[in-house]
This record gives sequence, structure tokens and C-alpha cells, in this order.
Amino acid sequence: MESTTSYQRFPKIKIREMKDDYLKFELHSTDTSVANALRRIMLAEVPTIAIDLVEIEANSSVLNDEFIAHRLGLIPLTSTRAMEMRFSRDCDACDGDGQCEYCSVEFHLSVRCDQDQTLDVTSADLISSDPSVMAVDVAARSTSSGYDASDNKGIIIVKLRRGQELRLRAIARKGIGKDHAKWSPAATVTFMYEPDIHINEDLMETLTLEDKKNWVESSPTKVFDIDPNTQHVVVVDAEAYTYDDEVIKKAEAMGKPGLVEIYAKEDSFIFTVESTGAVKASQLVLNAIEILKQKLDAVRLSEDTVEADDQFGELNAHMRGG
Amino acid sequence: MNAPDRYERFVVPEGTKKVAYERDTKIINAASFTIEREDHTVGNVLRMQLHRDPNVLFAGYKLPHPLQYKIIVRIHTSSQSSPMQAYNQSINDLDKELNYLKAGFEVWNSGVFIFFMMMVTLT
Ligand SMILES: [Zn+2]
Repeated sequence: MESTTSYQRFPKIKIREMKDDYLKFELHSTDTSVANALRRIMLAEVPTIAIDLVEIEANSSVLNDEFIAHRLGLIPLTSTRAMEMRFSRDCDACDGDGQCEYCSVEFHLSVRCDQDQTLDVTSADLISSDPSVMAVDVAARSTSSGYDASDNKGIIIVKLRRGQELRLRAIARKGIGKDHAKWSPAATVTFMYEPDIHINEDLMETLTLEDKKNWVESSPTKVFDIDPNTQHVVVVDAEAYTYDDEVIKKAEAMGKPGLVEIYAKEDSFIFTVESTGAVKASQLVLNAIEILKQKLDAVRLSEDTVEADDQFGELNAHMRGG
Repeated sequence: MNAPDRYERFVVPEGTKKVAYERDTKIINAASFTIEREDHTVGNVLRMQLHRDPNVLFAGYKLPHPLQYKIIVRIHTSSQSSPMQAYNQSINDLDKELNYLKAGFEVWNSGVFIFFMMMVTLT
């Protein structure tokens, strides 16, 4: 019964802009379901590392212990290690305790204010037990790439006045955005259908220049313009179109239905991915593809299910046979 | 206090099968696949891939309740195929598609993009 036919697609990718924390790319020749699955996985299922357990040793700051623990959890940490790391819940090295090197990273913080000026406790005060896992803004200072680090003062956790102190131990663990948004590696992930705009040139030329201007102006975003030399209406930025239908309604109101036809190319997508910095935006997409592969592999039928059905089939044939 | 653990949304409980297969009792070549701890991400991608198979007469999925962390995929095929065969084929095809996509992305991610950007800045 093994079939040799395949209904596979061969999607194409074209990268338009790539920065550490930003990626814009085109995805062609695939289905919306695949594009959306990748988007959903980037938001909620690509793992990162975030502070998950905080033991406060001393806290005389104005914020209570749990408030500080929550703020620590939300600090994005460099998570290139996350894909290879274990989830604490299925780590056998520490029996799910979540304190061993395979599934956790330890942080220490100890700050005391002994001056009259207010002291900021920031992500830079977090001392990591693993040099590959640290606050993303601190990591960006040591590497020249990424955003401008010169005016980077760190992520403020709490402010201390004279005599106040904060001392704590924190355990960072691997997790996913589905569990808690603090583990989400994505700031935003969006995709849009590539628009396909056809102007009916003959009908367009029946318009006066004034009408053309009015029609071009009816679009809330700058999609069309008038060529100053030829006075023809041209598409200047198809992707600025937000599928608002305004130009179509305007054409109808002007008594010129069919002036323009706009379709969404249903197999072409324009993605924008913004990362929190936990993983590079390009790595985020690759990880999402890998996670989707793993998810599909996990939903394969088990051997015993197939066997049970085979027996059922034989039984059925037997019953039919006599 | 009595809130369920957050991980219940994505960790298959002990003793539960990830995928349970059940033949339809009335229609030949129809079956339901109950997939534990999955949602629209996998459900929709499987459904749309199954629609590409001409032997699949019907393929659909549902998330019965937002607090029951499972989906049900229902497949009805022609006599040329079987729900199990179509299901396996759809997973295999999606896996191959993702391998192809990954390879394509890695090419861009390694040298090509830098080369492309250099060409842009040069011209
Ligand atoms: Zn462990």
C-alpha cells in the first residue's frame, strides 16, 4: 500500500532585509496554513531561556519580592543554547528539580546603595553562571553589532535609595511562549499576502486629470501616483495596500467600476519578524521550521496503532470472505 | 489556588496516547485521529495538506473545546487510499516541504545574502 506519489510543495524564500533583531522576507509557493503555522510557532513555541525561580536573600527596596521576581522573569536573555537545552520537567539529571547545568542557568545579584544619589539596579548587575546566557542588552554592549549600545544603561529592575539593598539568587530555565509570554522570542511576527494590482488602462484614460488625482487620493495609503510626464496612473507601492477596498469603492462612486482589480496572491507572503534579542531573527525562523518538523514527527501514528488496524483489516476481510 | 498547571496545555499526560486512531463504524475509508496537546498550528497545516491529495474526499479538523487540549482530524478517502495512508502521506510531504524550505533559508543565511547586499551597495 506504500504510495510513491507525492503532493509536496517546493517553497521559495527571498530575504529582503536582515538585521540581528529584524528580518523581512518573502515566502512563495506554499499555503497560508504553513505561513500561519510558522508565525504561531515563532510567537509561542520556539524555546528561550528566562528567569523562572527567584530566591530573595535581602530586599529592602520599595518593590516587594514577587514584583521583583516578575520583573526579572521578563528580562530577555540570550538563548542560542535553548534549542539544545532540556526542559526542567523532563530533565533526568536533576529529577525535574530544575537546578542542574543541563536545564538551568544560575544568576546572582547583589547591590547596595551607599550614596545620596538614587542607584539603579539593572540587568547589568545580574551575574550569570554561564557566559553564553546573559541579558540581551548586556550582550549587545560587548558585541558591536545590533542596536546602538552607547546610550544603553541596562534594563532597570528597581531603584534604591541610601541604605537599601537587594540580594538574590535566580534560576533561569528553558521554556516556551505558550507556557508564559516571558519565554516568547518574538516581539512581533506578521505576514501579509502579496497584492496583485491591475489597472484598467483604457478605462483610466477616460478620466480627467482632476478625477485621477481624486481617485489616487482616495487610497488611505500611498499605493498609486500620477506620472508627471505621461499623466498616467501608476502603482508606486503595491505592498502599501492594506486591502481596504477604498479605491474600488471610489471607482464605483465615480461611475467607473472595474477601474482597478486587486487580488491577494494566495501563495505569496511577506513576513516581518522582530526578535526580542533572545535569538537572532534569522535563527528564529530556522528554529520555527525545526519545531514544526518536530511537532509533525510527534503526531505520526505509533507502530501499535498501525498493527491494531492491520488486524482489524484482516478480521474484516475474513468476515467478508465467509 | 486550584488553577491547572500551565504545562497541561502542551505536555501529554502519562498513559495517554499522542495520537488515537478510530475507524468510522458506518462509512468505509473514514476515520478520526484524536491528537493530544495540539492545536490549530498542526490541525490546519495537516488539513490543508490532506486537501492536496486527490484520494481524500474529506479532511477537516476541530478543536472541540478551548480547555480540552486536543484536536480531532477526520479523513474520508476514496477506495484507492485509506485514511491512515493519507494521514501518513500528508506528514511525509509536509516534512519534505519543510526540509526544502530550511535548505533554501540556510543558503540565504550563509553567504548568498551578504553577496547580494554587496552587489546592491556596489551598483
Ligand atoms: Zn536538570
